[in-house]
Amino acid sequence: MYEFGDVLRVRGVCREYGRGESLVRAVDEVDMEVPEGQMLAVMGPSGCGKSTLLHLLGGLERPTDGEVWLAGRRIDTLSERALARLRRGSVGFVFQAFHLVEELSAAENVELPALLAGCSARAARHRAAVLLERVGLADRARHLPSELSGGQRQRVAIARALANEPLVLLADEPTGNLDTAATLDVLRLFEDLRCAGQTLVIVTHDERVAAIADRLVSMRDGMFVDDIRLAGSTTGRLDGLIGLEG
Amino acid sequence: MQDAVLAMLAKEPSHGYQLRARLRRTLGPLGESMNAGQVYVTLARLERAGLVVCERVNGLPDRPDRKVYALTPAGQQRVAAWLAEVSWPKPDLAEFHLKLAAAAAGRLADPVELVAAQRRELLRRLRDVQRAVLAEPDGSTAGLLLQGVVLRLQADLRWLEACERAWSKIDDEI
Amino acid sequence: MGRILLVFRLVSADMRRHPAQVAMLLVAITAATATLALGLSMHGATDALYRQTREATAGPDVVALSPGTDRTTITALESLEHAPGVVAHSGPYRQFYTKLTARGSTASAVVQGADVTPGPVDRPLVTSGSWVRPGGAVVERGFATALDAGLGDHITVAGRSFPIVGIAVTAAHEVYPWAPMIGPGGGPSDGGGLVWLAERDTRALESTDFPVTSFIYLKLRDPDTARELRLRNPAIAPAMDPAFADTWVNFRAWQHIAEQDSVILRNSQPILVIGSWLLSFLAVAGVAALAAGRAAKQTRRVGLLKAVGATPGLIAAVLLAEYLTLALLADALGLTIARLVEPAVINPSGSLITTATGPTGGTVAVTTVVALAVAALTTLGPTLRALRSGTISALTDPAHRPQRRAWLTRLSALLPTPLLLGLRLIARRPGRAVLHGCNITTTLIAITALLMIYAQPVTGYPGSPMANDQRTAQERHLLLAVTVVVIALAIVNTITITWTTALEARPTMAIARTLGATPGQITAGLSTAQLVPTLPGAITGIPLGLILVYSPGKVTMPPAWWLLGAALAAVLATAVLTAIPARIAVRRSVAQTLSAESA
Repeated sequence: MYEFGDVLRVRGVCREYGRGESLVRAVDEVDMEVPEGQMLAVMGPSGCGKSTLLHLLGGLERPTDGEVWLAGRRIDTLSERALARLRRGSVGFVFQAFHLVEELSAAENVELPALLAGCSARAARHRAAVLLERVGLADRARHLPSELSGGQRQRVAIARALANEPLVLLADEPTGNLDTAATLDVLRLFEDLRCAGQTLVIVTHDERVAAIADRLVSMRDGMFVDDIRLAGSTTGRLDGLIGLEG
Repeated sequence: MQDAVLAMLAKEPSHGYQLRARLRRTLGPLGESMNAGQVYVTLARLERAGLVVCERVNGLPDRPDRKVYALTPAGQQRVAAWLAEVSWPKPDLAEFHLKLAAAAAGRLADPVELVAAQRRELLRRLRDVQRAVLAEPDGSTAGLLLQGVVLRLQADLRWLEACERAWSKIDDEI
Repeated sequence: MGRILLVFRLVSADMRRHPAQVAMLLVAITAATATLALGLSMHGATDALYRQTREATAGPDVVALSPGTDRTTITALESLEHAPGVVAHSGPYRQFYTKLTARGSTASAVVQGADVTPGPVDRPLVTSGSWVRPGGAVVERGFATALDAGLGDHITVAGRSFPIVGIAVTAAHEVYPWAPMIGPGGGPSDGGGLVWLAERDTRALESTDFPVTSFIYLKLRDPDTARELRLRNPAIAPAMDPAFADTWVNFRAWQHIAEQDSVILRNSQPILVIGSWLLSFLAVAGVAALAAGRAAKQTRRVGLLKAVGATPGLIAAVLLAEYLTLALLADALGLTIARLVEPAVINPSGSLITTATGPTGGTVAVTTVVALAVAALTTLGPTLRALRSGTISALTDPAHRPQRRAWLTRLSALLPTPLLLGLRLIARRPGRAVLHGCNITTTLIAITALLMIYAQPVTGYPGSPMANDQRTAQERHLLLAVTVVVIALAIVNTITITWTTALEARPTMAIARTLGATPGQITAGLSTAQLVPTLPGAITGIPLGLILVYSPGKVTMPPAWWLLGAALAAVLATAVLTAIPARIAVRRSVAQTLSAESA
């Protein structure tokens, strides 16, 4: 099934919560695929099911119905244990609330996935140093999350998500808690990753984040309502955007 | 643009090409396509209006441009007035709003479709500007202008979202 | 008034929302206070029971015993009736040292010839059935209990069988198994029970060669002078027939009997008192774990109360009231339990009348202080911390930032994943790990002490298997009971500590799971966090337990494998106990946990 270079492939996926009267369909028969190297943004109002979709893609939740394929492997039927192993090697998560382990330093947070995957301490340390350098925080390696700014914390979280060179990076409102400057830092990082061929799925309600993606799907009430390919559709001249008529 | 050129001359008299370079630097990527002609046309108009005087500079055969422009007292007054002015471009949303209403009323087109098309267009523009923002180094003044454009577009997109919600409801009612 | 209502409402709402925690608090403090109350009431308890029995049975002030039953002996004893200060007497009677068979087992006994109508001194209290009649025997209650014999059973003495027609209690003999008081020929007694037969029925014994002792019960004008009644006493000697001055007579004053009766409890009191300290310690550990687990929530609550304008005093009242109320309730429960259990503990042989005396004022005061101290010690810290924190930081910062144990974290990077997660959890809450270690230490102290006591050889009474040292049995039963309570409380504590750890570790563990940790790894990690402090805890507990029981002199050490087995069992039990809450905590969806965390 790993054809057309699709890293992620979703078929008729539903996710329901509750039952009877209080039944909620957070995700309603969604079909999608994410080709390798694509940066996909999912937009929609809060409660539209976009975070649930992300959790389904990363195997944090199981669909009520439908299939989820990651790198040619069906994951919705895997055991918890197999899912954990899959996440370890193939998926990196980035969250709005950063979710760093508060009592570990930035470097130790970044080492964590490698250690979980059974890397040697030395290799994990080396990898963490490289990643922190990449996100521009080499000088903050020994700081605790509480000693970092929001943007720095999110960059540490991204470094951690990249620790095991995941096939896909899943980001849930990565800039939701950040100011404009920090948002730009994170977006630059995403742009670098995209250029390096990293597959990314970003859930957001911020148009500025969505706009840098190759493709943008809009969700409403658990369903996709729009699918825009932004890549390669440049409007051309930027100066048309400002009125500077003599 | 006339006011901006005048204000730039307030610091010191300049050659036309100097003015153009300063404008482009300040505008960043947005000023890239501005050509020399635009600046000279503007300067010529200002000269005719008596706001700028032009002096010829002799010597320097290697320089093709030998004109230096300077402000007249009237020009200086105009610059002062411009700085004190608080006018602001008015958002022009009425036209699109009327377009949607007309389309719906005359069943010319689905307003929701119109909104979606408009949204795609704005998103493409946003993408271009946002990429330009990311390409700008931190703290550049040109980046600031780009960010302003981004925020404008973002506001427009949010308004489109509200339109979409509202018109799909009105659609349902019809 | 409104303020009291508010405190009451907040406290009761909180208790309703956390029934398990309330139950755990009650159990912990109740166990500690009950044991403490028992230990404290032990002192002088037997004395009080003896006085009661003496009063109810017109007990003698002095029993004068003399071996043999010949004329001179009897005359000598009878001459005591006229000794100065003696106001009444019963007897002389005789007791025969014999063997007795009941319900298939044989025991040493003394058979006392009794009047069908008891004399003025020593009128045994018949607790069931009736008094002696020809052909029917009455068995002393403690002895009957040991024999497991009741009304209608038969006893066989010197080949003759008698039905048991009554069970009675007396203050004229020491409690079972010291009923003989002196042995045959005035020598040491082997111990045994007491049976009353009608004078006529004892003739059968007379004919055989059973040793016999004669004795007389005396009532004095002033019971306090009982110890002065001796043949050599110059005040008494002139009244005695000089011809019998050389007859050997053993005088037992009632005070002496009371003392001997309390010997049986000599070791029980320390068991209970030390046991109660161990239990109090466990209670502190358990309640501290509970309070610490709730500290974060508590801090938020304080922030909310401050935000709506509550004064620090009111907030302190709300926070402390709950624990103090529960402590007082547990204290009352503990005292009640102690009162109910007391008769069985302080009157192990059943040879005395047991109308429970109830705790003295002193006991109530001490247990109340201990209960309140447990509550206050464990909650005062978190309460003060919560009060000191600013309103806004209390609302926004749910947990105090834990200190980092960098070396532990660095070390853990070298270990397999479950250990890695476990050690990082310890690094997060070192205090809890210490608490857990102490928990296990305390348990192993109790278990080691129990094994030590069980390893000591039983000093039995020859020829009377049932009269095997009642005192040893008493000690063992008590220690077993205390150990069982200690283990139960330790189990409750372990679950509390693991559960709070699991709750607190939930976000971290959810993050670890997004990074690819398997549920098995998480469970193992949480278990490890508890197991690591268990090992040193178990290892310290054993020597401490040995020291506690060790007394200079002849001590038999229990086999080493008993002790190692106990330590191993404790570690294994902890592993199982910790795996359960960890397993439950892991079941919760990662996505839910994370969204709850960021909310």
